[in-house]
Amino acid sequence: MSHQRYRVALVGCGQIADAHLQQIRRISCAELVAVCDLEPLLARQAAERFDVPTQFTDFDQMLGEAAPDILHVTTPVHTHASLACRALQAGVHVYVEKPFAVDLAEARRIVATAQKNNRLVCLGHDQLFDPAWRQCVELVSSGTIGDVQHVDSYLAYPLQGPFGRQVLQDHNHWVRRLPGGLFQNTMSHPLYRITEFLTDESPAIQAEWFSRNIEHDLPTELRLNLRGRSVTGTLTFTSSTRPCRRVTRVFGTQGSLEVDLDTQLCRIDRGERFPGAFAKLEAPIRDVVTSLRNLARNTARFWRAEFHYFAGMYELFQRFYAAIDAGEAAPVSDRESLRVTAIMDEVFATCRQNDYLSNSADDGDDGRVVLNLIRETGELVADACRSSHSPVGRPS
Amino acid sequence: MSIPRRALLTGATGFLGRRILRELVRGGWSVRCAVRPASDIQSLIEFFGDGWSLASRQIEILPGNLADAGFCREITDGIDCIFHAAASLTGSVSSLVSNTVVPTRTLFAVAADQKVGRAVLVSSLGVYGPQKLRCGSVLDETCPLDEFPARRDGYTYSKTLQEEVARTISADRGLPLVVIRPGVIYGDERGVLSHRIALPLGSLLLRMGGHQQVPLTYVDNCAAAIVQAGQANGIDGETVNLIDDDLPTGCDVIRRYRRSGHRLRTIGVPRWAILWLARFNEWYSRTSDDQIPAVLTRHRVNAMWKPLRYSNERARRLLDWTPRISLDEAFQRTLQSTTSSSTR
Repeated sequence: MSHQRYRVALVGCGQIADAHLQQIRRISCAELVAVCDLEPLLARQAAERFDVPTQFTDFDQMLGEAAPDILHVTTPVHTHASLACRALQAGVHVYVEKPFAVDLAEARRIVATAQKNNRLVCLGHDQLFDPAWRQCVELVSSGTIGDVQHVDSYLAYPLQGPFGRQVLQDHNHWVRRLPGGLFQNTMSHPLYRITEFLTDESPAIQAEWFSRNIEHDLPTELRLNLRGRSVTGTLTFTSSTRPCRRVTRVFGTQGSLEVDLDTQLCRIDRGERFPGAFAKLEAPIRDVVTSLRNLARNTARFWRAEFHYFAGMYELFQRFYAAIDAGEAAPVSDRESLRVTAIMDEVFATCRQNDYLSNSADDGDDGRVVLNLIRETGELVADACRSSHSPVGRPS
Repeated sequence: MSIPRRALLTGATGFLGRRILRELVRGGWSVRCAVRPASDIQSLIEFFGDGWSLASRQIEILPGNLADAGFCREITDGIDCIFHAAASLTGSVSSLVSNTVVPTRTLFAVAADQKVGRAVLVSSLGVYGPQKLRCGSVLDETCPLDEFPARRDGYTYSKTLQEEVARTISADRGLPLVVIRPGVIYGDERGVLSHRIALPLGSLLLRMGGHQQVPLTYVDNCAAAIVQAGQANGIDGETVNLIDDDLPTGCDVIRRYRRSGHRLRTIGVPRWAILWLARFNEWYSRTSDDQIPAVLTRHRVNAMWKPLRYSNERARRLLDWTPRISLDEAFQRTLQSTTSSSTR
């Protein structure tokens, strides 16, 4: 735990800033000194609601006058690299909300600037520090399910929620201009729950995105397969199922685990021990026992007031501040930040390539001829897609 | 002020906005409607029904973003009066500020430059801070605003900030401003069961108190008064509350629902119990670091469920307005079109 008292500032007073400010206020070694937003009304509302003494609309002025030790960057992703690098150059440690950067090149620039200025940068992979996820990782580490073979990560996204509605309604929304569109802003959560166990630098990728609703003019569904040397992963990002859940299943050689971050439940399945028809009784009995254990655990945690939606974020902030204090590496390593960004780049390039191919095929006979030609030179198209940052959307 | 004829209306596709539009059209105004690009224009057309083809001759619809000064210049050009009814009702505080307050600042700043004759801002009765009023007092336009709107809810906070921004522009740049503060607006599509009457708890309704008056305004009455605010003489700079006559209590409203055949499962929570629950919620939220947030606080309880009386005397006097639709008729129309489970 950190001993020094840190002056903490935040830039970007949108929706996620509320969660940051709320959690920072809970940390005893942190003193919120300033908030900053280009829009003065947004800076003002954040300052008023979270008792922050100063508010700015000029970022450099804030760095100069508020002199923070730590900066939280909660702006849209296309501004992360510029803001983080300026803060790092000014000697400020930086916490960057996910996603890290628009692409790998920007991510590398942030990491290099941090290393050059001897400052820490920490990416907001906060769900890795959620109590239910930590329980899952401990169980895996203790060998409960044997060696991990496959991770299935699922996210049901509330497209009709406040943020999703904004993206749908505003055709110029900044999310639409990202290379990975809606997914780039959110898919890192289910992705890093896979990369926690799938540690290959560059796993093989199969991916596609699409939309189920004809009224949506952007892709809202994404399916991803990852293949590493010893572990595989599947990621489902869906906007069409309910209830909205963040569920991950980890499959090992001796059993599997299911973690539901929303209900904070962790279930172990190690198969049936009894033969034949008896197994059909054993399974529901075991379900009851597991449920009773979960009930007892969650009751105890409720009693200890441990249920907070952003519990992982709180834990990560504490660890980050402690790492600064101890002069250690950030709790989310630079390597991990770069690796996840690189995988996302590859996923979006693959999806755009598939998009292009399927649209060509849809265009009739000529399209199919072009499609065959493109398939033969598919790698060239993938390269072109990787280097393109065109807005996401169906070609008109 | 002579009767203007060219109006700009924001929020025209909303619950209140479409009624304001109908009133304006009936009053012979030529109306420019600024709507969000994703707004549901079809539902507006359906609202007018057969009358649309005639009404549309007086209506011009321009899609765009009110936070864009260029768009605001385009829509305010040649306008005599702005009726600003657009506002977000839900979402995070930052999105409410972004979608309600920022557009108001841009629109009114441009309107001041364009020398628009009057801006009518549709605010909310929720901006008042009746915490210091005694039980049974009259809440009117002299009541102070809530000192701590951020402790209420995002909507109240955004409306308070919106009013402040509008008043600042009006004072600094000379934009004639009339602020209208409607009570709880109800009507055919929305029902009457607001949080001032009951809070939903699963399939149950927690009736909050129940013996205090509910400051209701029927949507058609409200729209008529707002249009009056655009054309009444000598009211620049005024603030007017809009509330209907013969206000019912929460118990009355629930009784009327039941009488009309709606099945409501309610549990009555007396005022003393609400205050104790609020104390407990505040204490638990504090000690548990917000495991359960302080949604029920004494500050909020004393703003929402305090037994007060409400006056519409100023609206009658300044706007030369009386609620056209009586409480009985308004309830009859509303309850016919709502289901028993409707609540907001």
